[in-house]
Amino acid sequence: MTTNYVELANKIALDKRSRVLRSMVLDALEGGGRGHLGPALSLLEIVRALYDSVLNHDPTNPLLASRDRFVLSKGHGCLGLFTVLADHGYFSISELQGFCSFESNLGGHPERATLPGIEFSTGALGHGLSVGIGMAMASRLRNEKWRTFVLLGDGELNEGSVWEGAMHASQHQLGALTVIVDFNRMQASGDIDSIVSLAPLAAKWEAFGFEVTEVNGHDIEQLAEVLGNSINPLGKPRAVIAHTVKGKGFASAENSTAWHHKAKITKDEISSLRAEVAVL
Amino acid sequence: MRQKALTTVYKLAKGDPRVLFIGSDLGAGTLQAMQEDIPGQFFMEGISEQHIVGFAAGLAQEGFIPYINTIGTFLTRRSFEQVSIDVGLHRLPVRLLSSGGGMVYAPLGPTHTAVEDFSLMLSVPNMKVFAPADAFEMENLLTALVDDGDPHYVRFGKGGETIVTQDFPTFDLMPKVFGEKSPQVVMFTTGIMLQHCLEARTNLMSQGISTTVLHFPYLNDLSIEHIVSEIRSAQLMICVEEHVPRGGLFTQILHEFASARLSTKNLYHLSLPSAFSHNYGSQVDHLDLNGLTAPKIASHVERLLVINEK
Repeated sequence: MTTNYVELANKIALDKRSRVLRSMVLDALEGGGRGHLGPALSLLEIVRALYDSVLNHDPTNPLLASRDRFVLSKGHGCLGLFTVLADHGYFSISELQGFCSFESNLGGHPERATLPGIEFSTGALGHGLSVGIGMAMASRLRNEKWRTFVLLGDGELNEGSVWEGAMHASQHQLGALTVIVDFNRMQASGDIDSIVSLAPLAAKWEAFGFEVTEVNGHDIEQLAEVLGNSINPLGKPRAVIAHTVKGKGFASAENSTAWHHKAKITKDEISSLRAEVAVL
Repeated sequence: MRQKALTTVYKLAKGDPRVLFIGSDLGAGTLQAMQEDIPGQFFMEGISEQHIVGFAAGLAQEGFIPYINTIGTFLTRRSFEQVSIDVGLHRLPVRLLSSGGGMVYAPLGPTHTAVEDFSLMLSVPNMKVFAPADAFEMENLLTALVDDGDPHYVRFGKGGETIVTQDFPTFDLMPKVFGEKSPQVVMFTTGIMLQHCLEARTNLMSQGISTTVLHFPYLNDLSIEHIVSEIRSAQLMICVEEHVPRGGLFTQILHEFASARLSTKNLYHLSLPSAFSHNYGSQVDHLDLNGLTAPKIASHVERLLVINEK
């Protein structure tokens, strides 16, 4: 029987920690008065699972040599990453409220030069995979054990450079590389299928030489298990297709292109979102 | 020049495990000895310049020094965003070794002629842009700057250029002076146009016109302050470059003259036109058409001197 991941992603209830993290996302959104809310919420559980359970990392030593590398290639989802990093102590939680302000370390896309814990500056799409492949190759060349994880957006898969990278990752059998696709089925202009369909997405990654696993991208236990599975560093690279819901957790923002990015967010809108997270 | 550059990378890599070579389908036999000797430092990837630049950035972020070689137009045009963001923004020591600078690939048409590469690369913050004149200077440059932490763009000539930089065995970022102080004519040039300018200089000197050629293998900072005496005394200055008129050496000169409050009254320019050529032929055919070969440079200077006297 085929698993209906879309239904599972829609139905799964968020636990207290996910609700608290969403409340922190709202703090940043309110402080900045703008931001990409929908993409941050679709990837929040993925990033949470990585930092809570999967990655070898040390918030007190963000450049720990043996750390696993995580590249958020869909940089516009940074509110999710910032929140998790702040919660882990990479920087003060109060910094979230300065989001996008002139002297803040937190901009609308993540920057390595300004914020501890950011592995690579992203924002222009289609860059992160190739950079991550370089990192994974570096780990191999030095005979080190650390792994590389790259989180891509589904809309980002429109970029041809992603598939250039995919072919090379497979050619080099970079088994220490894991690609995660935040498959929320929407991009800025609407449904993925109405713009450039990705179907059959799992078969595409398999055809490009990846070992593919599909998961409910809001199921923390499933994410932690799949992403934490042991790897064969000389085997196929992995692609984890995480079925998610854009704007997950806020009914008014779910599957909404209006909340992909907003440049002028009102206090009423924030209040309304806070009321929603309070009753989740 | 390309051959020397690649063998220099091999030599550097032999003694330094941080040094890597990355090519994009460069043809069978490219650096075969390196591939066989130190295969872990040699990558012949597919036709995928965007990926290769990002891949190199990831490696450089982890402490490697990747030297990428492919056709210049593909490095500068095709992968510009990767060059700017992955390499420039992160200020990583990725080396872009650009085959076929200027009109080297004239027979292959405008998709392959790198006539605006200086302009594109000089616009990227943190990118250092180089155009050595011959294989000797190329080897010295690559060897001297291996540990430099910034990204580099290095333009290659066609190969087989006459060695003219032998008096400068140690590479530095300063302009190279060919001639005396206080000349009548000063030529500013870079890359393989140095040989053409030196030949033009010989021609002019034989007619009693004292001429000094200033070669700028490093284009970001021309260090004009070190050559002010040559500039102030000259009756005529001319910039000669194998590049479109804007964004290359001449533009750099104008910036530095403005900063130093130097007059541009007697400053002239010879360059390629701002156009995609639809002719083929050889590099020299195009240089000649645009007045960039030695006899035409010399004649142009003579004419300008006469005009200036009137």
